[in-house]
Parts: sequence; structure tokens; C-alpha cells
Amino acid sequence: MSLTEPPPPATGPELAGEDAAERLRDRISADSLTTRRDYLRIVATVSGGLAIGGVGVASGILHRHGDSDGLPRAKKVADQLAPGESLAFRFPGDEDRALAVRLSDGSLVGYSAVCTHLACAVLWREDRGADGELYCPCHEGVFDARTGEVTAGPPPRPLPRIFLTEEVDGSVWAVATARSGEPAKEALCRQFGESRPEMARRLGCAGAERATESRRT
Amino acid sequence: MSDGALPPRPDYRPGSAQPRLNRPVRERYPQIRPTSGYGDPRIRHTGPGPGSGSEQEPERSSKLNARLTLALTVVIGQLWGLTVTVNEWMEGNTGTVWWGAGFLILSFLAVLGLWLLDPKDR
Repeated sequence: MSLTEPPPPATGPELAGEDAAERLRDRISADSLTTRRDYLRIVATVSGGLAIGGVGVASGILHRHGDSDGLPRAKKVADQLAPGESLAFRFPGDEDRALAVRLSDGSLVGYSAVCTHLACAVLWREDRGADGELYCPCHEGVFDARTGEVTAGPPPRPLPRIFLTEEVDGSVWAVATARSGEPAKEALCRQFGESRPEMARRLGCAGAERATESRRT
Repeated sequence: MSDGALPPRPDYRPGSAQPRLNRPVRERYPQIRPTSGYGDPRIRHTGPGPGSGSEQEPERSSKLNARLTLALTVVIGQLWGLTVTVNEWMEGNTGTVWWGAGFLILSFLAVLGLWLLDPKDR
């Protein structure tokens, strides 16, 4: 018999009844029976859960806020947007909160209004900083109003960008999106590449030029 | 002093002269359970030496501690890996995300191996 194994319990008719039940009750009411091997098993289970989570993330169970697979349908945001004003809207989907801001120098910028930290609503604060800033009140996250980069607080990524255009009549339209931290050209090429190849060519996208060349040859 | 002045010695017998102290340990100390400390049934001897303390095989205990420590370290690494993986997914770097998922699976296999080294150990 191994030293680590307890001696086998005496089996007999005298232990079969009340005595066995009493011993079981006594054992249950004694100290915690969780051993280090149990902890090891729990740790292995947690590890398996994390691995499953990683595969789930890779296979796309998480929704990217403010992102769409193809080119989203252009959406009219406002008839006019004066300097220093902001406007909340939904783009590209009905669930994707977004924010359009006209900076004091007249620049028009748009971002997903879902904070990259814990998905709280991001607000435009004109009174903070020279250009104003995008501010998440939940955990004091601050984003640069011109670039969407994180300037303070816990958010791990910049705000996903929304490309806005202004028509001659002053109306503001949302036309495309960029993922968090994605360069503007890459984002526009990704979305315009298939649905609007002439626009992609004008932007100088590599794929569009290759497609044009293959068409020529 | 002469020998005749000494009182007669009592007969030797094991245990105490007081019968209440000779009762079984379980009756004298009902707080001690089969799973608690020195009430552990694996303890076969009193005093120092093999089979007397709560730890009879220090090497086995050390190995188990090492396995547990390694497994916990790997799980901490997995938590970091999952954070990075989610971050990469949100940035749209799908290729990197699959590498992250592979890292998480390999880490899980390492922990599983540590557990399977001796799953019967306690």
C-alpha cells in the first residue's frame, strides 16, 4: 500500500449501516476537502476556458463597434453642422453609436462613440484643450479630437474613425468607416476596393491597380 | 537514609494512572477529524520521523507545488494572451488573432500535461 493512500476502510456488516452514515457525515462536516490536486484541476479547467475564448475571438464572436464587412450605405447625418457643434448618430448599423464633430477651425471629424475600454458612450467636450476632446466619463478616458488617439485614461485603442463628407449644400454624410488604429488609406481601399473600383484606383490602392492591369492585359 | 524508608514503587503500566486520560484520542479530542492535521489517518507514529507529521513525502509535496505554480503562471500568461488577442481582433488583424488563439491552445495543453503528470496525487 502506498504511503499516500489511506488504509482501506474496514468493510463489514457492522460498518454498513449507521456507522458508515455517521462517518460520512463526520467527514463532510470536517475541514475543507479541497486539495492542491483539486486546485490543479480547477486551474486546468480555467486554462481550457481561456483557450476556448481565444478560439472564439479568432472565429469572430466579438462584434467590432463601428465596423462593417463591405462598404456601408452612405447616410445623411445633418443638414448643417456649425463649428464647435457635435451630433450623435448611428453608423454604419443601427446599433453602432457614432459622433460627428465640427472643430473650431472648420475640420469635420467622425468617430465611433463607443469607448474602446468598456464600451461606454464617448462625449464631445469643446471646453477641454485647444481643439476640445472626446471624453468617456465612465473611467476618464480621453481621445484626441483630430486623430482619435488615446491621450489619457485606460482605453487600449484609438476610436474607430468614420469618414464624413460635406456636400455643396452643407449637408454632412457618413460614407465609410475605419477600424481602431487602421490607417485611412487602408480602410478606404478595403471598403471601396470591390464595390467602387474607380474610387479605389483614384485613391491609389494596390489591389485596384493590379485589377486594372489584369483587365488591360 | 536507609532503604527501608522508601515507599513501595507502584507497578508499571502504560498510559496514565487517570483512566480519563487513557480514553481513545477520538473521545478525548472530538474536534480532531480524520481530515484535520494530526488526526489524519495516514499519520501512523508519534513524534518526529516517518509517518508522524502531516507531510510524509516532502518530494511529492514539492513536485505538486511546482506543478501548481507552473500551471498558475501559464494561466496568467493566457490572461495576457487573451487581452492581446482581443485587442488585435478589434484592430482587424485577423492573422495575428489566430496566432494568439494557437498560443492559448498550446498553453492549455501545457497545463493539461502538468495535471496529467500525476492526476491521482493529492
